[in-house]
Amino acid sequence: MGDVVGLVRTHSSDEDIKNSIEKALNLIDFKPKCAVKSVDIKANLCYYWDATTGYTTDPRVVAGIIDCIRERYGSDINIRVVEADATAMRTKHAFLMLGYEKLAEEKNVELFNLSKDEIHEENVHVNGRGIVFQIPQSLLKSDLFINVPKLKIMRDTKITCALKNIFGCIASPRKIVYHPILNEAIVGINKILHPDLTIVDGLVALGRFPIQLGLIMISKDQFSIDWIASQIMGFNPSKIKFLKIAMKEKLGNLEGIRTSGENVITFKKIFPKENFFSSKRWWDIQLGLFNLYREVVNDVVPPILEKDKS
Amino acid sequence: MNVGMIGLGHMGMLHLKNCLHVDSVKVVAAADSSKRALKKAKLVGIKNLYTDYHDLLSDSVDVDTVIISLPNFLHFNSIKLSLEAGFNVFVEKPMAITVDDCRKIVKLVEKSDGKFMVGHCMRFINGIEKMKEIADEGRIGNLEVVTLEQLLNGPFAHGVDFTPVPEWWFDPKKNGGGVLMDLGYHVIDLFRFFVGGDSKILFSCFDHKFNLSFEDGAIVILVSSDSSIKGIINIGWYQKLVFPEYNFRAILHGNAGYVTSDNLVPRNIYLHAVKEGTKNLLRKIVRKKIKPLSYSYYYESYYKELQHFFDCIKNDSDPSISAIDGLKTLELIEEAYKTSSETQFP
Repeated sequence: MGDVVGLVRTHSSDEDIKNSIEKALNLIDFKPKCAVKSVDIKANLCYYWDATTGYTTDPRVVAGIIDCIRERYGSDINIRVVEADATAMRTKHAFLMLGYEKLAEEKNVELFNLSKDEIHEENVHVNGRGIVFQIPQSLLKSDLFINVPKLKIMRDTKITCALKNIFGCIASPRKIVYHPILNEAIVGINKILHPDLTIVDGLVALGRFPIQLGLIMISKDQFSIDWIASQIMGFNPSKIKFLKIAMKEKLGNLEGIRTSGENVITFKKIFPKENFFSSKRWWDIQLGLFNLYREVVNDVVPPILEKDKS
Repeated sequence: MNVGMIGLGHMGMLHLKNCLHVDSVKVVAAADSSKRALKKAKLVGIKNLYTDYHDLLSDSVDVDTVIISLPNFLHFNSIKLSLEAGFNVFVEKPMAITVDDCRKIVKLVEKSDGKFMVGHCMRFINGIEKMKEIADEGRIGNLEVVTLEQLLNGPFAHGVDFTPVPEWWFDPKKNGGGVLMDLGYHVIDLFRFFVGGDSKILFSCFDHKFNLSFEDGAIVILVSSDSSIKGIINIGWYQKLVFPEYNFRAILHGNAGYVTSDNLVPRNIYLHAVKEGTKNLLRKIVRKKIKPLSYSYYYESYYKELQHFFDCIKNDSDPSISAIDGLKTLELIEEAYKTSSETQFP
């Protein structure tokens, strides 16, 4: 069953951000499933580019969430900001470089690398295919699991937002091994890990270029968030492959999806939509022609364009 | 010439592949601690492979020349051992990470019979060569001010094959410094190249946007030793660019005009790649030698510097970039670090 997606406009001061998150929580009338003693906040720290590039979650949004959570559920709850190592990113560096160490000190929260957690392997079937994931166990035990993704376009999947950010929880750093089946893998991991709440950091969103969107988006249902996010980013959500698979796998349902607060159009109008030259198709054409040139001419390839075949 | 590759990381692999296109050069050995890297070397036909470069140096299966592309902190020892073993040595920049080590290298080179060159590749960019020529011909009058800018991803770039940034890049004891040691090394050397003499630092000011213990952005002002030519340098690792975008610019301001790299490097890098790629294709069809990497004006400089080094060995001439250049550049970097201690960006 889909759910309500709250859209709140925010400005960039710390106070505005916190107030917008509070307003967003009220918009969806959020109530936790149990008494809150422990909270895990999954930011999106996919690489070392800071929030102003549109790539990673703004620590100010996480700070706003921490403040709201403490005001609502008490100042003594344990809060962790979590992320796992990625193929090219190491969490320990990302926490430092993206301002999370400073945040942890200021807000007295723990920074936790999910790749260092107790890991169990789980096998999930998606589209008739078995996929094995390394699952950080502590994530399954938190009273309140909050997903804080970015709003971005991505060559491989067209969009990346709520469901894709959970893909980042896989403990194994070499997530690139899932890329040939990325759409299925996104759905698969979301069959295991279920955030209680998603708060999208749309302060700066990433289309063909970064844009100050000034948006906080919220929902209890990740699929609903991604459905609305696709619309904002100028895509037809029914054509996003992992959303189609999610519906087939009963992870998402169109019924019940509705928005509350600001209008989608307001944000859609200013989002820098994908065009041919920023699309995967154009990238594939370029790489294809380049590889053909290399094969025929036997020219040298800069390491940055070299694919490891070993 | 029989070449041994020491280090097969990002730059080492590029040098290896470039060597395969240089006439009269045969790569006979390669060393790297990574078995994956050695596997790649094997794929391009390198027979003698070592996980420890010391073994390559002592085993030296007919090797007469080594190309060193190790992490910065390993440059000094590997240069020392290679020179002592009598090899011709080409080393990636920086020559070493301290001025003291650079001075020792200068002495070792003086004692050595082999050729020695540091990879100051930017001097070999066609547009830079042209700028130098224009300035030397006096076409812009007296050179007054040189501005140099280079802003890009630095070590934080990742290519189509995602690999983590090597850990040594995060350790100031191993990288020798941040953006100043990386991009700054190139542009400070370019200032020296254009000025043609010694220089000193007037001002430097660093940025730490990434919260690391070394700088990721820097503004440096320097001046020729007779104070007649000033240089303004703006460098940063903080700009996220996607290959083939390349944010580099040099302007030479004279009292009779100016010349800018913007007019001498391809304005449209895609069109340039297609044009040069087509020329190489035609060369291939008529069985002429291709011009490696000419489709990328920046990467072509890496091929040209190696070609120059091997030409010098062949003709028994001195490479245009000496150990003294490596030392002078590092002296300026060290001076910039000292100057900066009280001038940090807020």
